[in-house]
Amino acid sequence: MTDNDEFATDDGLEAFFEAGRADAAVPSADLLGRIMADAEAQIAVTEVVVPRPGLFTSLIEAIGGWPTLAGMATAGVVGVWVGFSQPAGLDMVAEKMLGTADTSYLVDLVPAFSADFEEG
Amino acid sequence: MPFDAMNDTPDEALLVLYANGDPNAAKALVLRLTPRVLGYAARLLNDQTEAEDVAQEAMLRLWKIAPEWRQGEAKVSTWLYRVVTNLCTDRLRKKRGVALDAIAEPADGRTSVAEGMIEGERAAALKAGLATLPDRQRQAVVLRHLEGVTNPEIAQMMEISIEAVESLTARGKRALTAALADRRKDLGYSDD
Repeated sequence: MTDNDEFATDDGLEAFFEAGRADAAVPSADLLGRIMADAEAQIAVTEVVVPRPGLFTSLIEAIGGWPTLAGMATAGVVGVWVGFSQPAGLDMVAEKMLGTADTSYLVDLVPAFSADFEEG
Repeated sequence: MPFDAMNDTPDEALLVLYANGDPNAAKALVLRLTPRVLGYAARLLNDQTEAEDVAQEAMLRLWKIAPEWRQGEAKVSTWLYRVVTNLCTDRLRKKRGVALDAIAEPADGRTSVAEGMIEGERAAALKAGLATLPDRQRQAVVLRHLEGVTNPEIAQMMEISIEAVESLTARGKRALTAALADRRKDLGYSDD
């Protein structure tokens, strides 16, 4: 058996490993302080980076979120469609509700507006 | 969570607490992980100052990844060992060409006890011996025999099979044995 073979037994190397484990580097107070300062600084950075809801998001949330917004959009589209197409049944509903198809009840609330508009 | 109550808390849970802004969790992680990170870096680099820089950089990367940490994927210590390994490998590549004799022997604080001196010399010889190993062998031997990391964890860290880890460790130990053989009698070994 050569020296190297004998030396390769677990006991031979284990004595060195044991000495190596006992000789572990110990962090200085300065290093611990620097690492702790990094940790605290990073907490601050993370808190800043977390996105806060913007004005638009806040408004949407105030009215009930996206489902509510979808309902409002649908109602708006239906309103526009009714305004343009004026379904035939609408006159009938108006007659039923107002009692006449005559439009003489309509009053021009801003009579001067058309004149102003024409004058620019 | 109070700092005293964190002794039994796993690293992963502390990291989640830290990500939620708990400074006590950060303190617990610093005190628990820094010695391991520094010790491993010092063994790979043989340079205390550089090892401190690596330890600080590795811990900074941990702080940065904390908000995105996915529990159950890896142990914090395994992740850190991998980061330290990569940082040390980069530094060692830059340092290549430095003669072994130029690597400073560690200062031995032990004084009059003969046994203590031999112990210190063994540690110094081990450092010098480890420095002669190829990077991967040194990493495997240090992780397994000095840091006490299991073979499966080393395999995960080094992204190789467990058999490859065993092979690296065995070759590393043989090379280490050869490197240490010359100093064996000086260090208190005899042929008897």
